[in-house]
Amino acid sequence: MKKRMNGYLLAGLIITCTILVVALIGTFWTPYSPTAMQYGKFQAPTLAHLFGTDHFGRDIFSRVLKGTGTTLFIALLTVGIGAVVGTFIGAVTGYFGGVVDDVLMRFNDALTAFPSILLALLIISLLGPGKKYNVILALGIVFIPSFARVTRTAFASLRDTNYVTSARLMGAGNARILLVHLLPNVLRVLLPAFTIGFNNAVLAEASMSFLGIGVTPPDASLGYMLSEAQGMLKAGPWYAIFTGLTIVLLVFGVGLLGEGMQAAEKGVE
Amino acid sequence: MKYIFKRIGLLLITMILVSFLTFLAFEIVSGDPVRNMLGTDASPAQIEALRQELGLDKPFLSRYVSWLLGFFSGDLGRSFSYKQPVWELISSKLVITLALSLISFALIILVSIPLGVFSYQWVGGPLDGVRTAFNQLCMAVPPFFTGILLSWTFGVILKVFTPGDFPGFAKDPGGSFVHLFFAAICLSIPRIAMTVRMMRSTIVDEMNKAYVRTAISRGNNRWSVLTRHVLKNSLVLVVTFLGQTLAELVAASIVVEQVLGIPGLGRFLVASISHRDYPVVQAIVVILAFWVVLAGTISDIVNRRIDPRLRLGGEDE
Repeated sequence: MKKRMNGYLLAGLIITCTILVVALIGTFWTPYSPTAMQYGKFQAPTLAHLFGTDHFGRDIFSRVLKGTGTTLFIALLTVGIGAVVGTFIGAVTGYFGGVVDDVLMRFNDALTAFPSILLALLIISLLGPGKKYNVILALGIVFIPSFARVTRTAFASLRDTNYVTSARLMGAGNARILLVHLLPNVLRVLLPAFTIGFNNAVLAEASMSFLGIGVTPPDASLGYMLSEAQGMLKAGPWYAIFTGLTIVLLVFGVGLLGEGMQAAEKGVE
Repeated sequence: MKYIFKRIGLLLITMILVSFLTFLAFEIVSGDPVRNMLGTDASPAQIEALRQELGLDKPFLSRYVSWLLGFFSGDLGRSFSYKQPVWELISSKLVITLALSLISFALIILVSIPLGVFSYQWVGGPLDGVRTAFNQLCMAVPPFFTGILLSWTFGVILKVFTPGDFPGFAKDPGGSFVHLFFAAICLSIPRIAMTVRMMRSTIVDEMNKAYVRTAISRGNNRWSVLTRHVLKNSLVLVVTFLGQTLAELVAASIVVEQVLGIPGLGRFLVASISHRDYPVVQAIVVILAFWVVLAGTISDIVNRRIDPRLRLGGEDE
């Protein structure tokens, strides 16, 4: 008997949902304006300014709220592109096989051979750095191969099962078999892959923005804020610490979620 | 032996493919580097002169072939912005990045393999969940955040090293090593966590196999079965994973070099991308890709030494 709920899943859900809610609030309302420079420079954290203020006198708590939203938005879209296109490729190659499978998978191998940051850097340098949607597109492309690989294996293993054969005998077309019969079963491997991909996307976006070729002002993601924070490490280390801890907590929460899903799948605590 | 030659041949083909794609990609999208260098108010004669000087007036394929021949004879072209041979610009930086990657790799192996074996002892125990959570936490820490924290505690407060002021191997080898060691810590923490996690699950899978049950029922204790048989069998996956790690370390070091102010290849790559200095970007990308393919080849060869089953199986891996 499989256990549906476990400790990792619960802890992951709590952390992730909290951050989601906070980011959602931050998109519409922050205690102070995240861009106003009027609250006094380099103030240590107080009750009025929970995370202190930065070198321009901006309220860091408000900036973190807003920045979490930006980071989540980019990460979700990125993984979305990777998952949708990757699953499509996985379905075509895994279900039909043949020449298309061989060619696409060799190409896939070549792409996965590249470290993801390097590939994203390359694509960004080709698309033009410093634009939000270029970052999303570049990272999205980078995440396609891993999703294609995972779903291809799943589709290929399900292709010859009895229920697919029966569906085909009853006259179901390929599209119906893929969408109605196979996709729900593939979701089981897709969801853990989605959590891993999401975390990689958060970290990759943060790295790109940190290097100054990702998100640029007026947008501020957590990675961009960390690169700002590095400059004021002596005068106000709290900026870097709170921003960095937010990234850690976000990735940690989703990581636990993925761990919990895999544990639930295996049926072990 | 035959296998190794085959691998090296495959490696060369992959390299040529990668370099061609890189060259092509920059050709398609790059825009006009000459116009970027001279600004908007350059005369057509000036533009034409510089274009001839840089060899950009020749057709694409002939430029690629001459670049490829140059690459194998050690001539990587000339930088647009520094007007110097690329190799002179990057050779010292290449050494630094290589040293950083190797130090991190050594750290990862030395820490994660004992930890991975040790963590098996906890499987099913009361602390196993805590260990898993801690493992996830370590995987969640981005290297550049560790870098900031380390440069704050050891740089700003304790003054063990000066972030942003890399002494260089020639001037101060000891100081350089300390600097690189801190960078290596940042790089290796998430990687160690990943390696331990995958080792643990591989060992757990292997311990459930029939031969282990047989060995234990014949009176061997679990520990000696683990070290004598299981470890060797689970090493193949671990070596493959470590090969990928070695490859990705070079790319991951790009960000850490930026944080700790280490004048390595990655930092130079980022700067060259923003300057649109394509000969430099091309050279670095192809060198890094070479590194990636090389790491994969080495891990395949090591695996064939460890696991005789791979040698007996088909030649096409």
